[in-house]
Amino acid sequence: MILQHFENQESGIMNAIRENPESASPRKKLALETARLGKRLYSNTDDLVWAGPLIPFDLLNAMDVTPAFAEFIASILVSTDAGPLFFENAEQAGYASDTCGYHRMLMGSALKGMIPTPKLLISAMSPCTGGLAAMENLARVFKKDLFILHIPQKESDHGVRILADHIRDMAESVSSHTGKVLDNDRLRKAMENTNKTREILSDIYTLAQQVPSPVNGRDLSNFGIVLPLFFGTEVGIEIAQAFYDELKSRIKANRSGVPGERIRLMWLQNRIQFKNNLVKMLEKEFNASIVVDELNVITWDPIDPEDPYIGLARRSISSPLNGTVERRVKQIVKLAEAYKIDGAINPCHWGCRQGTGARGLIDSRMKEIGVPVLNLEVDCVDPRNFAEGQLITRIEAFMEMIESRPSPW
Amino acid sequence: MYYLGIDIGSLTCDAVLIDDSEKILASSVVPTGARNREAIMRAADEVLRSACISEKEVTATVSTGYGRKRVEGRLTAVTEITCHARGIKALLPGTRLLIDIGGQDSKAIELDENGQVVDFAMNDKCAAGTGRFLDAMARALQVDIEKMSELDNGARGNLTISSMCTVFAESEVVSLIAEGVKVNEIVYGLNRSIASRTLSLIKRIMPNTNGLPIAMSGGVARNSGVVRAISNAMESKVVIPPMPDTIGALGAALIARERYSHN
Repeated sequence: MILQHFENQESGIMNAIRENPESASPRKKLALETARLGKRLYSNTDDLVWAGPLIPFDLLNAMDVTPAFAEFIASILVSTDAGPLFFENAEQAGYASDTCGYHRMLMGSALKGMIPTPKLLISAMSPCTGGLAAMENLARVFKKDLFILHIPQKESDHGVRILADHIRDMAESVSSHTGKVLDNDRLRKAMENTNKTREILSDIYTLAQQVPSPVNGRDLSNFGIVLPLFFGTEVGIEIAQAFYDELKSRIKANRSGVPGERIRLMWLQNRIQFKNNLVKMLEKEFNASIVVDELNVITWDPIDPEDPYIGLARRSISSPLNGTVERRVKQIVKLAEAYKIDGAINPCHWGCRQGTGARGLIDSRMKEIGVPVLNLEVDCVDPRNFAEGQLITRIEAFMEMIESRPSPW
Repeated sequence: MYYLGIDIGSLTCDAVLIDDSEKILASSVVPTGARNREAIMRAADEVLRSACISEKEVTATVSTGYGRKRVEGRLTAVTEITCHARGIKALLPGTRLLIDIGGQDSKAIELDENGQVVDFAMNDKCAAGTGRFLDAMARALQVDIEKMSELDNGARGNLTISSMCTVFAESEVVSLIAEGVKVNEIVYGLNRSIASRTLSLIKRIMPNTNGLPIAMSGGVARNSGVVRAISNAMESKVVIPPMPDTIGALGAALIARERYSHN
């Protein structure tokens, strides 16, 4: 059933582009490649490793091991017809309905045998212990080993060296569970690809900062979370290049992402993963654009292809999802200034410490620079908890408030 | 010229008619019921009839409340946060914190010295502590909701209603009645629980409200017991404007006048 979903998605996009080549867009390219990845995950042909956030997917790609990114798969399953059933399964198995929807979705679908069996599971201690517990549960369901990557919370040379060694251990574990050997030349090439993608991403984010921004609220949603799945591959470069070219051409044509852009917003943490009208409503009624997502950011330097483990370790440690809230808040403020945003929306995803736990600290620091924050309480994954009317009132009131005050910039 | 503001809430539909000098000519409050289009018409009819104005003479209408997009012929729809802020600015200028508790929403709205919204917080996940919560508790106590205001008289005040969920709180109230706890103590406990929820909304946006003018609007502001409890919890005076349940509709009418003149 899920394989069919990905096959339909792939053929649907390809047909649409064939029938109308002008409809091709970077967003479609990304959707096409994620559908293809989904197909590989469910085709029983590839060696799979389940992995959570902050795991270096490029290392897995270099080993010809397909990364099954847990939260990514959960968000895909939400859009299938069986989504609500999976949530119910998880709740019947004891997952409280107000815990993280990503993890409930994973557990519910695993218990129904609807997610593919990996050779190994890898989870980091960071960013969330709930995610680690979900992976432990999955390992038990699959009767497979779980490798836990300990990511230091603080960036220091000592911590980087320890994590670099630990990533090496991880690669060895992947190798022993899949039989795939990590070839040095392939690893070097993968790191070169990662660096190239990084460079284009950095250019994309610079273009997105322009006033008015060439991006609309949908172009780069989930971008910084999904693209790492393609790090280390040629496909990753192609996707990034497609986005860069599109933004460049919009700028050349003097076309902003949202016509007549009046309000610039930042979306914190994750987007709402199921279909909803909020972003379109923002554009249509307020000429407001989400010009930046918190996780659409490059926090790491290029990786030295001759000594990749150090660079990979630095990258994982530098993630805004790792370490103290203080560090995360600094990063958010930096983005707010770079993108000249008028306000930020924090969905405060249900049952998530990243979303809800940090909100007071984010609010007070943003207030200091004159940027208001709208805190919602949304289950970003489970549409059964979605009260659209209530959310629209809050967002509209936030827009009215922003319209009535001078720009912070 | 005449301007109409209509606030379609979950429990009541309110209308206010003003003239060009911002004078309130008439206001009405009708139950929303299951068919909000009928309630909208009834509320509008009532104010027009009472002011002896025909529908055609209304220059502009602005709607607000959860049913704001159901009002036909409106100039625009504006959220209740902005409308309540505008309404309180007209009646109690200088207010810096507005507490609005309606049928299913409770809000804390921070205003600047010019009455503009600076920040706000609303109940998100559930409607405990709102008008519907009080309705359910009045039902459980078998008392008239209109009389709840004074039912806490003489309470010693050592009772706490611990359940956050409306349904569980209702069962808790039923158990307390069965245990022979006096009604005034139970009502006092309920008022305190609403005050505590409201305070947590307020503190999220304004950790310190010392000395700032505070007002309250919305239907629950008519319940003096709840207002007293909130006032005690905040250790501050909470001022109630006349007809607090029509502040949103008044704000909408004032915005109708401003937007029409501006356009």
